[in-house]
Amino acid sequence: MDPSQSVREAMLPLLPRLRRLARALAGQLADADDLVQTVLERALTRADQWRPDAPLDKWMFAIARNAWRDELRARSRSQNLFAPEEAGITTADGSSAPVQKLELAAALAALPPDHREVVALVLIEGMSYAETSELLDVPVGTVTSRLARARATLQAHLGNDS
Amino acid sequence: MNPISEETLQAYVDGELGADEVAQIDTALVHDELLAHRVQQARAMRAQLKSLFDPVLDEPVPEQISALLRPAPPAVSVSTIPLATQTAHRGFGAGRRRSSRRWLLPGAAVAASLAVLALAFWWHAGNSLVRMQDGRQFAAGALSRTLDQGLASAPDSSAAISIGLTFRGTDGHICRTFVSHDSPAMVGLACHEAAGWSLPALSTSSASEGGEMRQAASDLPPAVQAAIAARIRGDAFDAQQERAARDGGWR
Repeated sequence: MDPSQSVREAMLPLLPRLRRLARALAGQLADADDLVQTVLERALTRADQWRPDAPLDKWMFAIARNAWRDELRARSRSQNLFAPEEAGITTADGSSAPVQKLELAAALAALPPDHREVVALVLIEGMSYAETSELLDVPVGTVTSRLARARATLQAHLGNDS
Repeated sequence: MNPISEETLQAYVDGELGADEVAQIDTALVHDELLAHRVQQARAMRAQLKSLFDPVLDEPVPEQISALLRPAPPAVSVSTIPLATQTAHRGFGAGRRRSSRRWLLPGAAVAASLAVLALAFWWHAGNSLVRMQDGRQFAAGALSRTLDQGLASAPDSSAAISIGLTFRGTDGHICRTFVSHDSPAMVGLACHEAAGWSLPALSTSSASEGGEMRQAASDLPPAVQAAIAARIRGDAFDAQQERAARDGGWR
């Protein structure tokens, strides 16, 4: 029942990339690290579902993406009834980011979740379209069209698309 | 000359094209300044995103995260854990739960037994907020009164119990979430029945640093969230519907 120590050890070096992905998905530092914790908990309880021939990183990224979707659903369900989360965007270095970086972070956070996912996986994590398509379980054409629309939105927000 | 689509251009920038297509675009770039500008822009965007998020890779991983991957500690004796430090639930809050959650590691069983322990404590504390009837839990005392009278749209900040959302369940009963701020803080779901407010979900909850319960949606314990998800039909009540439901006796 307890996942083997080898899986835990294999997960350890993936934590920085998992945190980066979570930050790109969730925007806020605290949310992102909470997301990482949720991913680890789910991954450890489901470690027996992981097939050793599948890349562990992709498996965990898929858990992260699904966990974030779950969280967004839970939030939208009760958004009218509870105190709103504090607004705020944290960039990776968490401080004095140049204005343009903050604008980009804000524009990314404002993207619809399915656009933000492809930006995070392709542009930030550096996955191929095919890998992203598999992870999101959508056709490659959907990945590319979402990515193109997300890019256009980000570019427009940055205001330098002249 | 064939216009190069936005998606082809993006595939070029993302390294998704075959050698032939790459060569074709490379050639076109030499003569087409606009195209070159678009490529440069797409590359700059990618570079900016990387520079925004890549520093995360160099940050030290917080202890509460790396601790999850250490070998599971030996089973924790429930009785040694002070109730006051419980953080039975965590959602995606705004960084208010930085206290140790390592005791959660042994798994849901310990969490569940702690919740039961806390419930017993809560019950035993003389608050009489819960009564048993036919083997089921019902709200009693102040909890029952708050569920009957309280409105999330008109919160009483001095009250020890506050109401979250109200909705009509799939079985037609009206259900309400509540938070008891007294230690140990409890969060639960109550559904109105002929016999009173039944409590299909009751859970310990985390308190924020100020000792004040946070009511962000995401802070609802998973057990309560699951109980809501299993029952909710349509949207939760707005302020007007909530008041009307109270005036109608929650029928």
